[in-house]
Amino acid sequence: MRIRVDSDLCQGHGACVQEAPTVFALDPGTNQVVLLEEHPDESLRAAIEAAVRYCPTGALTLAEDGGGSHGPVSA
Amino acid sequence: MNVPVLSGGWPLLGHLQALRKRPIELFWRVRDECGEVGELNFAGNRVVLLTGVEAQEAFFRGSDEQLDQAAAYPFMTPVFGRGVVFDATPEQRKQALRNQSLRESAMRGHAEVVAEETERMMAKLGERGEIDLLDFFSELTIYTSSACLIGKRFREELSPEYYRVFYELEKGTDALAYVNPDLPLPVFRARDRARRRMVELLTGVFERRAHAREDVADGERRELFDVLLSIRNPDGTPRYTVDVVTGMFISMMFAGHHTTSGTAAWTLIELLRHPEFAKRVVEELDTLYADGRAVSHQALRAIPELEHAIKEALRLHPPLILLMRKVVHDFQYKEWTIPAGKLVAVSPAVSNRMPECFPDPDRYDPERYTTGRAEDQQLFAWIPFGGGRHRCVGAPFAMMQLKAIFSTLLRTYTFELSQPPTSYHDDHSKMVVQLAQPCRVRYRRRDAFSETP
Repeated sequence: MRIRVDSDLCQGHGACVQEAPTVFALDPGTNQVVLLEEHPDESLRAAIEAAVRYCPTGALTLAEDGGGSHGPVSA
Repeated sequence: MNVPVLSGGWPLLGHLQALRKRPIELFWRVRDECGEVGELNFAGNRVVLLTGVEAQEAFFRGSDEQLDQAAAYPFMTPVFGRGVVFDATPEQRKQALRNQSLRESAMRGHAEVVAEETERMMAKLGERGEIDLLDFFSELTIYTSSACLIGKRFREELSPEYYRVFYELEKGTDALAYVNPDLPLPVFRARDRARRRMVELLTGVFERRAHAREDVADGERRELFDVLLSIRNPDGTPRYTVDVVTGMFISMMFAGHHTTSGTAAWTLIELLRHPEFAKRVVEELDTLYADGRAVSHQALRAIPELEHAIKEALRLHPPLILLMRKVVHDFQYKEWTIPAGKLVAVSPAVSNRMPECFPDPDRYDPERYTTGRAEDQQLFAWIPFGGGRHRCVGAPFAMMQLKAIFSTLLRTYTFELSQPPTSYHDDHSKMVVQLAQPCRVRYRRRDAFSETP
């Protein structure tokens, strides 16, 4: 599982940080999301999917290491 | 390649009169006649309207160095006041999120405030009666916005006069400002009168706050305006005049006021026009809250039927129908070059009804947002909040607020339209879109014992 950030879209709301604090943080300089782990452990999948789903700007997508990807998940 | 210009412009005024009468029709005509790129003329201001997902994505991904938001809205300057920027730079906006009240972590407290404010408005309603939706939701959202964005003590200073003065300011956004925002016209005189009245009202508030400030310093957290008014120049004079602070107040409140108020009204109107969906929403709320959980808890979590109803109201009746940027450096899209100095725009009113993105686009259908369809996930097509880096930073706050309002309102009252269903419509004669009055509905307190919802 690999996370992609679209930096044209991230506004620093911090919803992802609330969902998965070990994976996401806000850069204090740019106030945009930074990934603490590029390839997070499978055990964090539920939290990361929630972060993708609840990102208010749709800036996060989740790709499988195998290649396939799926965009923001609907609520 | 040069951008095609829409036909039918008048000498000097161009398409300004069409903009002031039937703006959405005008924007559709650009798409039909010119395609995805077409130029309008607002009294000499050249506005290139981009439509379609691809062109809109290019617009929303444009950098701030290339597309400037602040310079594009001349009709707002006299509302906020000279010297008060219309729109903060992206840096300042990020700062606003970082420091203040729009962070996700602040939402729980806001949800509690919104529920309380809705209760207070309901306390004035009684058993049954009739309300005007514009008046009701304008008043409610003045209280919720000021309490959440500025502070609870500040909110307690506000009376119903504030929403009426605010409404006058919103009505002062006539597109004739593209000719000159200070033309000697009744609409602009009323706007300037309203702004002066707002300064008077706030002068009174600040004087009372100044007297109370010592108590505040003693323990309680100081609110934004306490801080602003306490800042001094090196010579000891106040750094900010009341006029400037009034401008800050108006600009902080503006973005979240008519937008949330109008969306609340349209959510309710559309539900009452489509009783099968109203029933689903009320049943959902009754079920969710049956265990006595707090609105402040649930408004931050999923309320699917209600959320779909709000999103569909936003799609059909976006509060902003034209989003604009000033071109700073020549903007290239496909084979078209839009030179510096012109404006570029997208229209949420057009985008949200593009049939290639929203099947049967004029039909009210909250099921568009169910899993599998998720039509709102088309980030550059479903754009009631705009998109990209300038997407409304208050969107999560607005959604939470609407969920808290309806969680409170619809469990206490039932509503019915008191006018013919098709009579409710927006007034597009001003750049700030408002529901046209009258827009009345009847209400009756739900009886917990006899009624099955």
